[in-house]
Amino acid sequence: MSAGQVPVTVTGLERRFGRLLAVAGVSFEVYEGEVFGLLGPNGAGKTTLVRMLSGVLAPSGGDARVAGFSVAYEAERVKERIGYATQEASVYPFLTVRENLEFRAALYLEGRAVAAAVDDALARFGLEEAALQRAGELSGGWRQRLSLAQALVHRPPVAFLDEPTTGLDPLARRTVWDLVYAEAERGMSAVVTTHYMDEAERCHRVGLVYRGRLVALGAPGELKEAARKSYRFYRLPAGAAVRRDLGGMVDAWRRGGVLRIVLEPGAPIPEGATEEEPTMEDVFVLKIREEDRRALV
Amino acid sequence: MRWSRVRAVAKKEMLELRRDPVLLRVIVVLPVAMLLLFGYAVNFNLKHIPLAVWDRAHDRISRALVRELEKDGKFDVVYRATGEAELKRLIDRQEARVGLELPPKMLEELRAGRGVRLRALVDGSDPTFAFQVQVGLQKAAGRLNARLIAARMLAGEAQPLPLTLETELLYNPGGDTAAFMVPGIVGIVITQIAVILTGLAIVREKETRMLEALIATPVRPGELVSGKVLPYLAIAFADTLLVLWVGHTVFAVPMRGNPALLLLLVFLFVLGSLAVGIVVSTRSRTQIQAVFATLIYYLPSIFLSGLFFPIEGMPRALQLFTYLIPLRYFLDAARGIMLRGAGLDTLYVPFAALALFTGLVLLLATLSFRKRLL
Repeated sequence: MSAGQVPVTVTGLERRFGRLLAVAGVSFEVYEGEVFGLLGPNGAGKTTLVRMLSGVLAPSGGDARVAGFSVAYEAERVKERIGYATQEASVYPFLTVRENLEFRAALYLEGRAVAAAVDDALARFGLEEAALQRAGELSGGWRQRLSLAQALVHRPPVAFLDEPTTGLDPLARRTVWDLVYAEAERGMSAVVTTHYMDEAERCHRVGLVYRGRLVALGAPGELKEAARKSYRFYRLPAGAAVRRDLGGMVDAWRRGGVLRIVLEPGAPIPEGATEEEPTMEDVFVLKIREEDRRALV
Repeated sequence: MRWSRVRAVAKKEMLELRRDPVLLRVIVVLPVAMLLLFGYAVNFNLKHIPLAVWDRAHDRISRALVRELEKDGKFDVVYRATGEAELKRLIDRQEARVGLELPPKMLEELRAGRGVRLRALVDGSDPTFAFQVQVGLQKAAGRLNARLIAARMLAGEAQPLPLTLETELLYNPGGDTAAFMVPGIVGIVITQIAVILTGLAIVREKETRMLEALIATPVRPGELVSGKVLPYLAIAFADTLLVLWVGHTVFAVPMRGNPALLLLLVFLFVLGSLAVGIVVSTRSRTQIQAVFATLIYYLPSIFLSGLFFPIEGMPRALQLFTYLIPLRYFLDAARGIMLRGAGLDTLYVPFAALALFTGLVLLLATLSFRKRLL
């Protein structure tokens, strides 16, 4: 990959499974050192998208250039330059942490470079003390850490991480994100899928995937700002009630004794309501509602 | 093809095998257990068959016959019965497996130049057993006959029997089952290790979702398959040597032919079986599926290869089917080399058939693996 080149360029990427269109013409770019989040509900097509970008699955239409090569025509060249962590942590339980890393590194590197890369990865991912432990004995968080270290052991310029934090406790999740950011600061571009709203806030930019399409794209702040242009967000104290058919109300739900409502601009504001900032969850839910409405029309 | 990647896969596979307690047992304990089991338990050469005798003669001849029966350990006289009903009751209760009635006045009848008819009651529920009993009884009677005739000839009273048959067993003079079974066990062990373990090896990666991570690396299908297969090739060879060594030391199974030829045969058969394992594993999604798929291959192999049952005794259609079973050729050639000391000049047919089989399945394995990766 030459300097100034965009590490990931996706243009009209498409994948069909029989009659199902799992990914429908997705286009976006990921820049050097960027952590790009793919946010979407289960079954939205995130994993299919990531599989195509890492050369595991052939696209049915469109193409993407990853680290300078086409995923449709040069998948094997792509594979040499990326790291891919699958949804479930792929580790060999009977092998130690070190042996797992050695195996993965030896698929990319040769000779002394293997041991050097393994030592380096053990240090970068804080796995030195666990090096001799069998992977099968690791807890979920540590296993995920190893899975990440495996995917990045050869220091690829681009990484695809499929739900690296699913099933982890908040502390372990934070660790995983810190590790991803540490790699990004060294220049690695990462595409990370997640369905946790708060994690989307951690990304430089987010692409919202729904029904195989990219329905929103931008930095978390930008997306929230855009939502505030289209809607107003209010909080009502506990015990307050609003009528379901209140004019201009888009959404309403209870949250810890507080009633939260979303109104169209210019709609009458109920008594006692306090204006609030939109969250990523608001962005997500409203975008999906818009999409569903569009699908009906 | 990059050798370092093949080596990495092979090393990983070996580590997994070494640490997996179940697999380790399958590799080491199973072959030896099978050998001992088949060598001792599946013994077609019966000894110490419990015999009940109803001796109505009580003379020199009847006593000589009983001695003759017990002589080579084939029969043990466990009961002296006093009537036919008792003989039958003893067989009913399985206290004796054979009842023998010796008629009265045997000596007098013989002196008078008349023949004597002996009656044997045999439990016929197991045909193999019944057949062995008949042969054993006839042998003992035959030996006594020969002595009697010799004695009369010396006395100038009789001519020798016009026809006597003397069967000489070649290659396996003791009729020893172990010698016959050991080459078969090598075949079974290879089939098991190669087909089942290789079958599981690739499905295991699939089941643990490891294959997807591997596909995303630059490793080539050929490198992955070679790396997976090499350890099993080594294990199958080591197991073969182990079985041959135990067979030689415990059962004194001979090795009359060229050991190098046997190893070549083993190599061909192992390679073909490994390829079958790969085909199975590329078509199965779970390890359970793979195990059942290998059973479909394994069971006909055992029953139709001539390992336990002679192919000559099968219906015609089934006999034709046995030509499709690689274990059959392996057994033909392995028994030929080990027991007869045969060389390629007489064994070229099984060798060629096995080579053809191995080539075809290897081709199929390569093709089916490529497909799955894309």
